[in-house]
Amino acid sequence: MPGRQSHGRPLLAASGAKQGKSHAKTFKKSRAKATSKALDAFALAAEELGPERPMRGVRMRDLEERPEPAQKKRGHDDDDDEGDFEEDDDDEMGGAPQKKRARRDEDNDDFEGFSGGSDSEEWHVGVQDGDEDSDLDSDEAFGESDEEKFEGFAFGGSSSIKKPKKKKKAADDSDEEQEEEEEDEDDLESLGSDAIDLATALDQYSDSEEGQEGEEGSDEEEDEASTDGDDESEESDEEDPEKLDALQKMIAGFGGEDSDDEEGAKPSGKPKLSLKDLGLAGVKDPHIKKSLKLMNKEEKAIKPGAAQKLAVPLAKRQEDRILRAAAYEKTTETLNRWIDTVKHNRRADHLIFPLAQNAHDQGLDGGELQPVTQKTAGTELESTILAIMEESGLGPTVNKTQKESGGLEGKNQLSTAEQKEIARQRRHERELHSREMARAKRIKKIKSKAYRRIHRKELLKEQQAEHEALLEAGELDSEEEREAQDRRRAQERMGTRHRESKWAKLGKKAGRAVWDEDFRAGLTDMARRKEELRRRIEGRTGNSDDDDGPDVSMEDADDKRALLAELDRAAGYSDDDEPKSALMQMKFMQRGEELRKKENDELIAQIRREMDSDGEAGSADEMDIGRRQYGVGKPALKMPGDQAKKAKKAAAEASEPVIFKENLSRSEAAPQVESSEPVVSAPGAAGAWSRVGQEGRKSKKAASKGKVEELDLSNAAMLATKSKPKTKAQTQTAEQDDDNDSDDSDAIHLPMAIRDQELIKRAFAGEDVVGEFHREKAEVEQEDDDKEIDNTLPGWGGWVGDGISAREQKRHKGRFVTKVEGIKKKDRKDYKLKDVIVSERRVKKNDKYLATALPHPFESHQQYERSMRMPVGPEWSTKEVFQGATKPRVIIKQGIIAPMSKPMV
Amino acid sequence: MSNTMELNTVDPPLARLGVDNDNGALTIRNARTEFKSKSELARAKQQRQAQKTYGRGRGIDVKGIRDKKLRRNLTTLENKYKTATLKAKEAEILLENTAGFLEPETELERTYKVRQGDIRKDVAIEVAQKGFELKLDQLGPYTCEYSRNGRDLILAGRKGHVATMDWREGKLGCELQLGETIRDARFLHNNQFFAVAQKKYVYIYDANGVELHCLKKHVEVSHMEFLPYHFLLATLSISGQLKYQDTSTGQLVAEIPTKLGTPVSLAQNPHNAILHVGQQNGTVTLWSPNVTEPLVKLLAHRGPVRDIAVDREGRYMVSAGQDSKMCIWDIRNFKEAVSSYFTRTPASSVSISDTGLTAVGWGTQTTIWKGLFSKERAVQEKVQSPYMTWGGEGHAVERVRWCPFEDILGVGHTEGFSSMIVPGAGEANYDALEVNPYETKKQRQEGEVKALLNKLKPEMISLDPNFIGSLDLRSEKQRQADKDLDAPAVDIVEEMRHRARGKSGALKKYLRKQRKKNIIDEKRLKVEEMVKEMQEKKDEKHKERQAELGPALARFARKE
Repeated sequence: MPGRQSHGRPLLAASGAKQGKSHAKTFKKSRAKATSKALDAFALAAEELGPERPMRGVRMRDLEERPEPAQKKRGHDDDDDEGDFEEDDDDEMGGAPQKKRARRDEDNDDFEGFSGGSDSEEWHVGVQDGDEDSDLDSDEAFGESDEEKFEGFAFGGSSSIKKPKKKKKAADDSDEEQEEEEEDEDDLESLGSDAIDLATALDQYSDSEEGQEGEEGSDEEEDEASTDGDDESEESDEEDPEKLDALQKMIAGFGGEDSDDEEGAKPSGKPKLSLKDLGLAGVKDPHIKKSLKLMNKEEKAIKPGAAQKLAVPLAKRQEDRILRAAAYEKTTETLNRWIDTVKHNRRADHLIFPLAQNAHDQGLDGGELQPVTQKTAGTELESTILAIMEESGLGPTVNKTQKESGGLEGKNQLSTAEQKEIARQRRHERELHSREMARAKRIKKIKSKAYRRIHRKELLKEQQAEHEALLEAGELDSEEEREAQDRRRAQERMGTRHRESKWAKLGKKAGRAVWDEDFRAGLTDMARRKEELRRRIEGRTGNSDDDDGPDVSMEDADDKRALLAELDRAAGYSDDDEPKSALMQMKFMQRGEELRKKENDELIAQIRREMDSDGEAGSADEMDIGRRQYGVGKPALKMPGDQAKKAKKAAAEASEPVIFKENLSRSEAAPQVESSEPVVSAPGAAGAWSRVGQEGRKSKKAASKGKVEELDLSNAAMLATKSKPKTKAQTQTAEQDDDNDSDDSDAIHLPMAIRDQELIKRAFAGEDVVGEFHREKAEVEQEDDDKEIDNTLPGWGGWVGDGISAREQKRHKGRFVTKVEGIKKKDRKDYKLKDVIVSERRVKKNDKYLATALPHPFESHQQYERSMRMPVGPEWSTKEVFQGATKPRVIIKQGIIAPMSKPMV
Repeated sequence: MSNTMELNTVDPPLARLGVDNDNGALTIRNARTEFKSKSELARAKQQRQAQKTYGRGRGIDVKGIRDKKLRRNLTTLENKYKTATLKAKEAEILLENTAGFLEPETELERTYKVRQGDIRKDVAIEVAQKGFELKLDQLGPYTCEYSRNGRDLILAGRKGHVATMDWREGKLGCELQLGETIRDARFLHNNQFFAVAQKKYVYIYDANGVELHCLKKHVEVSHMEFLPYHFLLATLSISGQLKYQDTSTGQLVAEIPTKLGTPVSLAQNPHNAILHVGQQNGTVTLWSPNVTEPLVKLLAHRGPVRDIAVDREGRYMVSAGQDSKMCIWDIRNFKEAVSSYFTRTPASSVSISDTGLTAVGWGTQTTIWKGLFSKERAVQEKVQSPYMTWGGEGHAVERVRWCPFEDILGVGHTEGFSSMIVPGAGEANYDALEVNPYETKKQRQEGEVKALLNKLKPEMISLDPNFIGSLDLRSEKQRQADKDLDAPAVDIVEEMRHRARGKSGALKKYLRKQRKKNIIDEKRLKVEEMVKEMQEKKDEKHKERQAELGPALARFARKE
């Protein structure tokens, strides 16, 4: 295979200077031009063979590794290789690197020599197989002519003869596939039932991503893979006993070791270096000399065939193509690394230049400086300084430990029991000290309670009196008063313990009164309430004040008794029996305590006096200032109170029943009104103006009659008994509620309003407003509808004038009709709206602001209109949103805008 | 047995859903199978609420788009909208003022029983001061109008008395005794100008009461409206002429004869700047300056439509008619939102506040209704009792107007003007970018300039204000048919001559852009000719000037 031989290193080297030179000449032509590329190619090859090699050339480091299983296998082999290599190194430590390489070549040569014809298979390893193969694929470099050329050549390996054909076949296959792909580029799915191996499937997959350009590359990969497989098979083939023998021989002669595919990993330097060039001519080692001799012999033996093979270099075009392909692959790979970044930037809402990655402080930590601790102390300097500070007691940990230790010491000093004891003592002392204080407080509390309890009733009376006085004077709105009373009554009625309530009924049923005390209490309460209510209904509410009198006194008496008892308890309390602490035994403390006690006792006495004085109002004069106010205020206020009472009684007698009736009626009617639907207005409205004397009106009249009737029944009794007109009344009341605007006196006004409506209806009866409107609507509908225009000219195609029969005239009538499309009745916007005419005419002046055609990227006008839906201005959105919406896409800040140094994503 | 029962019960919904399961299993759609954390649910709720209040319609289906780039763009757009609505919702936290209404403590209490005196007693002094009475019993019933920011008030008595005032401070702006009938008065874009419809013409005065213009083309105007975004003063005359005058340029934009008799009332829809005219025959007609016949005719009442009011968002219209009815209309679909209300006597004036309170002036009383309409409710309910009442003191109400951003209702009546406090009427949080009730002089000036820059053209008025930029959906055939074939060809040169002023003039632009290209066509030739002509004229003038100055000073002649 010419492609593989083109790089032929060892064979050339072994074939002697002459042939090597001749070969070199042919070879140099192509090489001179694309040296760098070739080197690249070499690097690639090296990479492919030993991707996981820890030690690599400088150039190799730049290249990306490509993890492939086959390669990995190779890598393993390479490791062996390396081992060999190092051993070699050990053998000849002093050898220069160049020398080493030559050595290796030699080794290879030796090996090649042994392996005989199999070299052709082996050769390709040094070159980038993929490229080669792809080249073959695309250009059929190994054309038929080549085949002819190489027909005579015997391949050593068992599969060697078959191989090229197979390869060719593969190439053809792939070519076909390529074509197919090109054909089916638009519809990738159509690549169907043909036998597709996995590799092509993968190709297709990768094609979909990489596009057409990626195709070749992927093909190459595939081929690579296949060739790799081939290689393996070859390798297995090689391991026949003969070769093994040769190998062993060589190893024996060599003193070193070499695996069979060592040459694969070997960088192909200048292959035409002869042994002499490498300075190996003067090798002293007998073993090596021997092997060299052997090599020479071999070379000579192979020479004719080898010369024939090596004489065919690759055509320059082909080689260039290979190199280009390799270069192309490389560049696409590097460029592909940028794709994501470019996409990202294209889609970015905002781009800011200079780029953050090029900023001068990129990579520097912009965060705050943290205090250095022993953990974070990174450098030696820091740690030493820290240590010094620690020593001198200034370190960060010192304070903390000190504090902690201090706290611990304090805690440790006292045991829990002791602490408890201390606490108890303290509490006791506090208690002793404040005992009198507490007593004073208690007395005060009693006093204030008594005050409140006793004077509440008084106050209420006063207020009432005042209120009544005001009422008499006409200063207060009686309306408010009435409402308050209403409310009270309503609350009473609403109480759960009512005769008709669920509670009562259930209780009765279960006979709870027999065993349930609570229920019994409730019943009595109910009875009391009922009685009260009854009294109020009878208009004797005012008398309740009289009834209240003894009640109050009774209650007061009770209160007083309780109070006195409490006071006694408070007074009786003495602390003689209490054990006294040392503090309390001191003189000044005792004195103080006594003083306080005295004060308290005085207070109690005062309250007692007060209570007594309550009984007889006259004794107020004797009291001290605190009470005088109270005592003095009382008689003064009592007088108007009495007056007011009488007045109120009279007033209540006069007003109460009326109020109540009205109220009852209201409370009865209100829920009904609320529940009823506002139905009436619709029929009332329909024929109201235009169609007089129709059913609607009649019904209306009837309704109004009923209403008038209803309105007469202002009291609840009537409403309750007459259930039949109530239904009517309900609706009417609903209407009332509609039209009553100032609600307070609706009952009186309503008939007026209704009569007004009736009146209005009659007043506008002459104008048929509705009918006119509907006529107009019909007209408009007619006008906008589809129209047929008769364009027939009289006398055109027929006679006109007198004496023409009607039939003739008729025949000529509809001959030329044009149809003008309008808006059908059903399509009108107001089709379903009875009282509306919506103009269907287009407003021409508005057309100016319409888009004439759908703008480019949008697919439908909904999309387009949606895109304009949100206004940008600051009036319509928050500041943040507004600024986000108006922020320019590209923002340039001060600084040098350098290109991106590496992909961002 | 139970299974069959289940089948029986389940069948109808299944049939409706189009799912048939033999085993009677019910397919639940939108079942929540995945677990959502509380915060997630809260976020979703927030999103829903934001969408409801600030969302701008439903999003489009992005998944159906085949073009990848478009799909991505639209997805980002939708996301942007979403965040914008969310942000707007979040920004509600900045609205520090809350509106509140009078609330009864018990069910027996009624808010309409609360008198002005009670309110004044209980509110802060500065608020209480806002409720006041002006006794002006000499010069007839007074109409009142507030300026857009609610700061100034104009009062116009029927018998010729006009006064403007900063009502909060009680400072009189100007006072005029015009000595003739005044039918209407109105502020223009700010408090610096106001228009008065007098006996014959409409006059425009400035803040000091100086007469600036007499609009002689507006004859016998009975109603006026000012469209603030278009700078249009719309007048409606007794004869039924509807005229639009641009107050920034002074041009009469449109003159439309309504041909429906003497109109009774006029109102504007703040949402789309459409005018609503109440007619004698009970119809309400909707007008824009671009039409010669009404856009919509609505039979609202059986008698003349006494007054109309449209709510701030342009959703609801309240009309009051001579037939003692008050109707609530949903004017987006022209349906009656709820069956009509009755007024004891025909209402004379209707007005809707920022928060949707409706004031109805009838006879000597004013009633304020709350919740007549609400956009939150799907179906409007009929309100049973009013929110507040005023009057009954024998002053016939002429006009009721809400003060923007204040809980104040101004009532103009026969005896002067009353300002009543109505809790919850005004918008609590004003948008200073829109209208600023506390603006300084400088801000007012800036706002004026900004408003002029943002002025909308009268052609942009339409029932649907969002039509601008949307796609013309007419077919090509229709478009051809609609094309005006008789329209004269546009003479480019003539057009250029007209607009050839300044740097951005058409001629200059043409010269700048087209002269470089070496395309010689008819237009180019004409333009060249024109330029030459102009140059000659210029030279001539220059020479004249030179001649005037004499030979010695000729060099100083202006070249221009």
